[in-house]
Amino acid sequence: MSRDVLVLVEHSEEKVESLTSQVLAMGARLAKEMNIELVAAAIGHRIDNVVQALQSNGIDRILVVDDPGLALAVGEVQAHVFAEVARHVEPRLVLIGYSLMGMELTPAVASKLGMNALTNCVNTELRDGAVTMTRPLFDGTMHAEIALEEHASAVVALQKGAVTSSPPSAKQAVVQSIAIDVNNLPARSRILEITEEPKSNVDLTKAEIIIAVGRGIGDKEKIHFADDLAEALGGTLACSRPVVDVGWLPRERQVGASGKSVAPKVYVACGISGAIQHLTGMRDSKRIIAINKDPNAPIFQVAHIAVVGDLFEIVPALTRAAQEARTR
Amino acid sequence: MQQTNENKRMNIVVCCKAVPGLITDLKIGADGKAIQYQGQLLAINECDEYALEEALALKRIHGGQVTAVSMGNIKALDILYYALAKGADKAVRIDSESQDPQVASSVIAAALRKLDFDLVLTGTQSRDTLGGQVGIAAATLLNIPFAYAVMAVEARENNTLKVRKELGGGRYAEVELTLPALLCIQTGIRPLTFVPPARRIRARQLPVVSFSLADLGLQVDQLAPRGYRFVAVHPPERTHQVELLQGNPQEIATALLNKIRESL
Repeated sequence: MSRDVLVLVEHSEEKVESLTSQVLAMGARLAKEMNIELVAAAIGHRIDNVVQALQSNGIDRILVVDDPGLALAVGEVQAHVFAEVARHVEPRLVLIGYSLMGMELTPAVASKLGMNALTNCVNTELRDGAVTMTRPLFDGTMHAEIALEEHASAVVALQKGAVTSSPPSAKQAVVQSIAIDVNNLPARSRILEITEEPKSNVDLTKAEIIIAVGRGIGDKEKIHFADDLAEALGGTLACSRPVVDVGWLPRERQVGASGKSVAPKVYVACGISGAIQHLTGMRDSKRIIAINKDPNAPIFQVAHIAVVGDLFEIVPALTRAAQEARTR
Repeated sequence: MQQTNENKRMNIVVCCKAVPGLITDLKIGADGKAIQYQGQLLAINECDEYALEEALALKRIHGGQVTAVSMGNIKALDILYYALAKGADKAVRIDSESQDPQVASSVIAAALRKLDFDLVLTGTQSRDTLGGQVGIAAATLLNIPFAYAVMAVEARENNTLKVRKELGGGRYAEVELTLPALLCIQTGIRPLTFVPPARRIRARQLPVVSFSLADLGLQVDQLAPRGYRFVAVHPPERTHQVELLQGNPQEIATALLNKIRESL
């Protein structure tokens, strides 16, 4: 077993995903500390630009599977190819971003290889000689630290923000092409097309102030409390996933992993508990104000300003204050 | 009601997990392999309920049978009765417990091999372990196609499904799968229906099949998690200073408005 670190690369439109860059930074750090090689696996079709962009990330080897059959590969095909690449490497650690793709591929690749799999990790580090992962439990209200045994190998899926991207490295990676037959796999599933949420007038990514509501608002009829505040502050109304799931606001207003990622100057979270999928979409906001009656709500982990209290008292008071300030 | 289409009828198995609401007395077990806690108010995991809702909708449209499966101790019976009250035809409890996704998926895959299914639906992630692994891992062990974070399911001719799955950031993939297949259903795929209390009470009289590990040809010692140990469990550490605002709503509002203005 080579015991190296293997990073599975996610890319779209010929660009390496920013989450993969973070994962590579984590991989480079671990490889250095453990004195092993950092290997990256990139699969797809016509991915020369992706392979080029992977250079300067401190990678020792880039393994490339380039095949027309991988141009629009479905999960089970991607899992098969990544598992075959991993068999070439026999890594100690396989790192992948915990994106929607990582969520689908991590358990599939790990099951094929008989490796442990740890998803949703917010950190991976070498501690007392053991590779140690930190991951959330119980809606994110607790964190568990899990040490990998000396002999064991694992697929580790890392959350966005687990590490900041590292400065460019002068190291030139050796690029190695691997032939894997993808055309004789049983054709049990295939991607018909990729679609996008229809364009709307709401562009959350351009808003300077976002007033976001969560399940704590309790009722569609009460959304106006947040909407009124947004209007008084000249901000934009947004929400967390549960609000969309129950039909109180349309999907174009959703912030989080499956919705929009935003980084406004001010993000006011009203009655949002702070599921990890939501936090990954807004934690880069410059100033996060969280209003929630539960002091243990995970939203307070990322908030700069915390108000533990009843949003139905605080939000209307803030709306009035903003309106008065405007008319003065 | 739409007319049922006999050649699209499916036997659907829905995997649901009973998850605790309030947690107390959290600690690491003596062997370091699991977290121990006191859990109150076991309920059906939210996205699993959406999976159940989708299964029942597919049955209404195409006919077929819905079987709810849960792995857990006797307390998991509650959510199986709930599934029956919602409209599941059968319920199966796998008498086993594991927090380890590899172990759980191998047990669930063994149970699925004993059940006659065309389609398996699960949620995407349980709120307690936040792993999101068991569905796809079970599909891989069963060697059937899968899709994660599914937002729409359409049964088609020739034993196939067309599904829409999330890719993140407002992008989706339309995927065609040949049955048998497994789908991890996202929350919000369709509205949840309300179950009247009277029906929930009546459902408690209905039978629930129980599978032991021996029934599944598995042995307890095969199912020990391997390769890792928990070394700590604690509330998340804050990465930065958080300022706590206190006072009456007017005072808080004034302070917040100043903070917002200085941020712009």
